[in-house]
Amino acid sequence: MGGEGWLFLFSVLMAAVLLFTMVFFIIMFSDLECDYINPIDLCNKLNQFVLPEMIAHAFLTLCFLLSGQWLAFLLNAPLVGYNVNKIMSKNHMYDATEIFRTLSGHKKESFIKLGFYLVSFFYYLYRMILALISGTS
Amino acid sequence: MGEQLPAGWEARWDQQNQAYIYTEQSTGQQQWEVPTQPSFPSQDQSSAPPPPAAAPSGKAGRRQYPTAQLQSMYTAQPGSFEYQNQGQQPQQPQHQQQQPAYGDASLSSAAPSFFTPGMAGGDAGAGAQGGAAYPQQPMQQPQGGQFQQYGGGAPVDQMSNQFNQMNMAGGAGGYTGGAPGAGGFEQKQLHAINTINLIGMQPDVRGLEAPPPPYLIPQSASVTQSPYNQPDPSYQRCTLTTMPATQSLLNKSKLPLALVMAPYRSVREADGDMPVPVVEDNVIARCRRCRAYINPFVTFIEGGNRWKCCLCGLSNEVPQLFDWDQAEGKPADRWARKELNHSVVEFIAPTEYMVRPPQPPVYAFVIDVSQAAVQSGMVATAAQTILENLGNLPNADNRTKVAFIGVSTSLHFFSLPPGATEASMLVVSDLTDVFLPKPVDLLVNLTESRTAIESFLARLPEMFSDSFTVGNALGSALQAAHQLIGKIGGKIIALTASLPTLGEGALKARDDPKLLGTSKESSLLTSASSFYKSFAIECSKAQVAVDMFLFSATYTDVASLSCLPRYTAGQTYLYPGFNASRPEDAIKFGTEFGKVLSQPLGLEAVIRVRASRGIRMSAFHGNFFIRSTDLLALPVVPLDQSYVIELQLEDDLKGPVVVLQTAILHTTCYGERRIRVITQAMPVTDTVGELYGSADQVAIATYLANKAVEKSMNGSLDDARNVVTNALSSMLSVYKNQVTSSAGASAQLAIPDNLKLLPLLACGLVKHVGLREGASIPPDLRSYAQCLLTTLPSQSLISYIHPRFYSLHNMPPDAGTIGEHGVILPPTLNLTSERLERHGLFLIEDSQNIFLWVGHEAVPRLVQDVFDLPSYADLVGGKFTLPVLDNPFNQRVNAIVAKTRELRRGVYRPHLYVVKSDAEPALRSWALSLLIEDRMDGMGSYAQYLTTVKGKVNG
Repeated sequence: MGGEGWLFLFSVLMAAVLLFTMVFFIIMFSDLECDYINPIDLCNKLNQFVLPEMIAHAFLTLCFLLSGQWLAFLLNAPLVGYNVNKIMSKNHMYDATEIFRTLSGHKKESFIKLGFYLVSFFYYLYRMILALISGTS
Repeated sequence: MGEQLPAGWEARWDQQNQAYIYTEQSTGQQQWEVPTQPSFPSQDQSSAPPPPAAAPSGKAGRRQYPTAQLQSMYTAQPGSFEYQNQGQQPQQPQHQQQQPAYGDASLSSAAPSFFTPGMAGGDAGAGAQGGAAYPQQPMQQPQGGQFQQYGGGAPVDQMSNQFNQMNMAGGAGGYTGGAPGAGGFEQKQLHAINTINLIGMQPDVRGLEAPPPPYLIPQSASVTQSPYNQPDPSYQRCTLTTMPATQSLLNKSKLPLALVMAPYRSVREADGDMPVPVVEDNVIARCRRCRAYINPFVTFIEGGNRWKCCLCGLSNEVPQLFDWDQAEGKPADRWARKELNHSVVEFIAPTEYMVRPPQPPVYAFVIDVSQAAVQSGMVATAAQTILENLGNLPNADNRTKVAFIGVSTSLHFFSLPPGATEASMLVVSDLTDVFLPKPVDLLVNLTESRTAIESFLARLPEMFSDSFTVGNALGSALQAAHQLIGKIGGKIIALTASLPTLGEGALKARDDPKLLGTSKESSLLTSASSFYKSFAIECSKAQVAVDMFLFSATYTDVASLSCLPRYTAGQTYLYPGFNASRPEDAIKFGTEFGKVLSQPLGLEAVIRVRASRGIRMSAFHGNFFIRSTDLLALPVVPLDQSYVIELQLEDDLKGPVVVLQTAILHTTCYGERRIRVITQAMPVTDTVGELYGSADQVAIATYLANKAVEKSMNGSLDDARNVVTNALSSMLSVYKNQVTSSAGASAQLAIPDNLKLLPLLACGLVKHVGLREGASIPPDLRSYAQCLLTTLPSQSLISYIHPRFYSLHNMPPDAGTIGEHGVILPPTLNLTSERLERHGLFLIEDSQNIFLWVGHEAVPRLVQDVFDLPSYADLVGGKFTLPVLDNPFNQRVNAIVAKTRELRRGVYRPHLYVVKSDAEPALRSWALSLLIEDRMDGMGSYAQYLTTVKGKVNG
């Protein structure tokens, strides 16, 4: 198994982790809507995961860039740009005072990210299998 | 429609509305409702006993009017503008002639004869029916009661009283169309008659005092049919007094649906306010499923053993104590229970409603003692005011606790042990990791440590009189105060006269004048530091509220500091350029601060609004923290603060009536857990026309103010103004296309009568200092104005948006004298400088400031009489205290100013400014900017605003 195989195996695992993070976010948001959690706890909890998620994703993209996986890199670059923009404008953290006003937006964002990670998960899986096949043949 | 009509009625098919219209032949009165009563000639109706069906009704019986008078009112109403103009225009020439007299209006003789028909009609009608239907309750039924408060509590002169009455008579009559005992939905009739054209008409500003359209619920909806079964609009009002049946209908109508409420409203005996009835016996009947409180709109089923919840329809058991008085040991009358008779009641909550034993009221004063604060005299005035009000602090059971922290570059704690006569000061200069220097005696019982506190307050100003420290560690001091009282909860009152520059939450002077007037200006209106938000959340969790009193002469970043009061349900007060050596400043601050201190508090409160199935609360505006989707947390509920809650329909509404119930659970300052419940019932409709006929312009304006402020923080000020204008124009366009069904462009701008002042209020809103276009408004003033726009109750908010304008030099002879309802105010004028005369004396007030405008040709006698100065030239503009002189005119002006100051609920004591018409350009243009019907730099007049709106409606 060559470098490409290892890289995509790692990406598959990362995508799975990111996928679960998003599922967790969405579950927390619906908990908030159902009043199982109060906004302060929710924001404290979720804010711990915001930056790690972004960093993990950015790291993955960096790996693609360094290993010359251009298609995979281009796939991920827009999201990195979006995240960086959010951090620059300082609204990447969830704000307990505003959360109910912005909840629908947050949910939508989480769903879109979930879909994105899902698609990229299967793409990485496919690339990993390709790399494995080409490695063995 | 083949049924037999009662005698004297005729049915006719109306092509346009696709419905039968019923005409009473003897009077020509028309209505949509199928008549149930034979026709009465109108003169009989006022003397005859009311029709039997009307007798048990709380509202329908009240609202009927002899139909002939109704007709005469309709014909009279459009003409009333002319009356008004005729009544006032002749004054001008007259006054130029009789210059020195400057005095008495020509209105007195002419006015009554103009209004006699309306007045006589209204009086006779109301009186006769009041007597017949409710002999025992002469004027506390919802209709009359509201009028009593609006027109009567705020006495205007006789003419405007009559005018109000006429308005009301017209409006009320229009709603029911005199349908006796029907209690149905007849608003259509109002639309058919009361479409008004806005273009070319001068708005009738007196209509702002009118009560909202009535809630036309069927009589059978209320079990007791008590006259108090709907809340006074000052407690709660809805933008629509009829609920749309579906969300798509609401979307189609473009009308906003929101509740405007001030549940913890002050009770002013002088205005005839009724104290909130208290259910003393701990019997709280609630629905098992939706947790709604029992209210006048539930129905009793199964022979009265169970009650059916009016919100969710579940049947619940009636508590046995409803029919059995345990204290007296005899059967009780359930129909006399307060919760079944009053829409606003308070329950005394048992221990299940407490998370912990009722907390005592706790006050922590954080006082800025830096050089700026000491020099402005703020410290001395504040200490003096606290000292004077120690006895007024809510302290019924001697549990109240107080703490004082002085803050400059370090924190000064004061140890006030019980029994001691002297306070000792402890200084902490570590600002990053705040700690309390002493575990006890910093937060002390007011009664036990009274002597120490008094001697401390007396000495406080001189303790720091030679302070030269510049810098303010407000954030750290607030954290210290939070540590002190966080375990109990309570109120932090922060008084600061300089920008917090040290420690936590340090701020920078970021008011770059280059940003003003650009789209980036809105960044100055939002918080610069996240500290004030995160600290607010901590406070809210610990049940601590923060009140901010800001005094700085320079930039204080109100936008950031006001975050704390916003999320902890406090209030921000701004005293720009405060200087205690000016008595006006000291009195204003002292009065307002004193009122804040002596207010009763509702501690540890939560507000929840419940509504019939299908209605959802979708957004909340006001000062509180939203703790869950429908629960508002308020560590301390201040008196007279307004909240706006937007509603959405998730499902179609089935029943004919929906019920909205606001419950506010709080601990009173004397240690009782209480639930104040406000229940409101509304009919449901499925036509756009009825929605328009039932729209409440004051509530809509309040809603728009909140919406616009929200938009200005998230978007730009431009967006905020567009929110207002677009909302208005889309409403008018729907009204034009769907209700008056005129297609295509038109030169008219049609509006229903009950919304006729909404364009004026919208115009006032976009020109308001909080939202106005322009690069000259300091961000502090803007932020503060926005705080007020979102917290003032409707009563004050309307005059804040649309100031009142009186002409004093030619006021009617009774204005300024004591009338039946207190001091009589002169007639209000339209807000246009056309009314200003060069020799005149005018008063403009917007509930925060009063301007006395003196024309430059004012005769010396006028100046002498009012200001005790020899001539106009000696008069200096600016803050002013009117001297009390021994001449009737001065006393009347003084009485009017005093009346204006106490006209509305709330702690505010407006400043009085004297404005000379040819000096002090800044002050002059400030006063002129309140005349919102005029053009002002960059912004069009009211007429131009209407043209813009018309363009959008037609375009």
